Amino acid sequence: MSAGPSGPAEDIGARLRDEVQRAIQRSIKGVEYIASSAPPVGTTPKDVIYARGPMNLYHYRPLADEIYRIPLLVVMATTNRGYVLDMAPGQSFIEFLLKRGYDVFMLDWNAPRPEEKGLAFEDYVLDFIPTAVKCVQEDTGETDINLCGYCFGGVLSLLYAATHARGALKNLVCFTTPVDFREMTLFQNFSSRKHFDVDHLVDGVGNVPPELIFASFEMLRPATRAVSQVHLWENIWNDEYVKSYRMFDRWATDTLPLAGEYFRQTTKRLMWENALYNGTMTVGGRKADIAKITAPVLHVVAEHDHIIPYGASRPLIEKIGSADKEEVMLKGGHISVVAGPNAVKRLWPKLDNWLGERST
Amino acid sequence: MSDKPVDPMAMFNQMLGQFEQGFNAMATKAMGTEDFAKVMNTVGGASVGAKKSMGDMMERYLATMNLPSRQELTHIGERLQAVEARLNEIIAILHRAHPEVGGLAKPTAAPRPPRTRTPSSGPKA
Repeated sequence: MSAGPSGPAEDIGARLRDEVQRAIQRSIKGVEYIASSAPPVGTTPKDVIYARGPMNLYHYRPLADEIYRIPLLVVMATTNRGYVLDMAPGQSFIEFLLKRGYDVFMLDWNAPRPEEKGLAFEDYVLDFIPTAVKCVQEDTGETDINLCGYCFGGVLSLLYAATHARGALKNLVCFTTPVDFREMTLFQNFSSRKHFDVDHLVDGVGNVPPELIFASFEMLRPATRAVSQVHLWENIWNDEYVKSYRMFDRWATDTLPLAGEYFRQTTKRLMWENALYNGTMTVGGRKADIAKITAPVLHVVAEHDHIIPYGASRPLIEKIGSADKEEVMLKGGHISVVAGPNAVKRLWPKLDNWLGERST
Repeated sequence: MSDKPVDPMAMFNQMLGQFEQGFNAMATKAMGTEDFAKVMNTVGGASVGAKKSMGDMMERYLATMNLPSRQELTHIGERLQAVEARLNEIIAILHRAHPEVGGLAKPTAAPRPPRTRTPSSGPKA
């Protein structure tokens, strides 16, 4: 509907009025922004049913009257907190799953303590995930489990699936999971075998500090943080924009340290030897070849993922042994693929359709 | 020629977007070189060395002052957490052995919905 004809001068006048109002709002809201704390995240009701060392196992309280037989265990990436999947009511993947009738558990990570610098793939793949699976089995009385891994949580889920061929795994969902580490070109250069002395770093600092992890993510797009802060200032009058910015910024900066030995293995085995892609990966002496995985697999990738480029995640479907396998590509980046508007509209219902019929 | 009025904010945003893309692309190119890897890791290696030396020095200083270091405090915290974990394990064992004892009930003991859902039995997304 139009308010009637208006000339360019009136348009400019109206725009100017808006801008003056927004400038005033910016000054007021800018002060509020500095004085207020970030909005709460991860508020879907849950219970910690097991905690040991860096592992926290949550059980989310069901939100449906009837739930699927097979429980779903979400394995979070070891670099960041799990609340990215549970940002706010109405913007929560976890809440969506609960309302759709899934019994959801999450294996989330604490920062490893200095004494835990020796934690390695063996601990994550042969101890923490199997322990979480056992807890879920005991808690639900079900032997079958569906696994859903995000980013490096996907790598750990693949390693678990490959080393537990006769295990409880019924279906596997991976989000933006790298397999061909040669394709992570900037990370490859940062950790170049010729110049990067990973032993010197790990032996010197123990656990790899979160600042280093955060800085290496930020370096992938060095101008983006500064530009996003300009956008924040421009939109600071808009409460919804500010809330969303603060939630995602809090998550992005809430980076976890990595256990030293785990980082050493990641660098040497995955970045340098590309062992997962080459089928030569072993964990605790067990061969971890993803070609041996037979469980149905859904892999969700992001078209503009700057952290895990598509080239790095694409071979998962090609290499995995499962007969029932599917890749879904979404427009968007590494985070928006699980928490953005496109994920809400397209991915979540797609995942519900795929997993629902396999969860009975 | 278009009659659309000039929108300075839209122009600014467009310029900002172009700057972001251009700068990121240029930086990606620069960071992909061997020279960058060499410099970055030389600086990073020196920083790790300095941090370790500083840590060792602080530890000696705190020992002289008869104060616990962060590592020692963390170790005490670790031991307390281990004790808590063992207590939780003992409670879990007791709960399994004597589920009738109320004080041992798990916080998630609320009745669960039946695990009978099928894709056709619930509301559509």
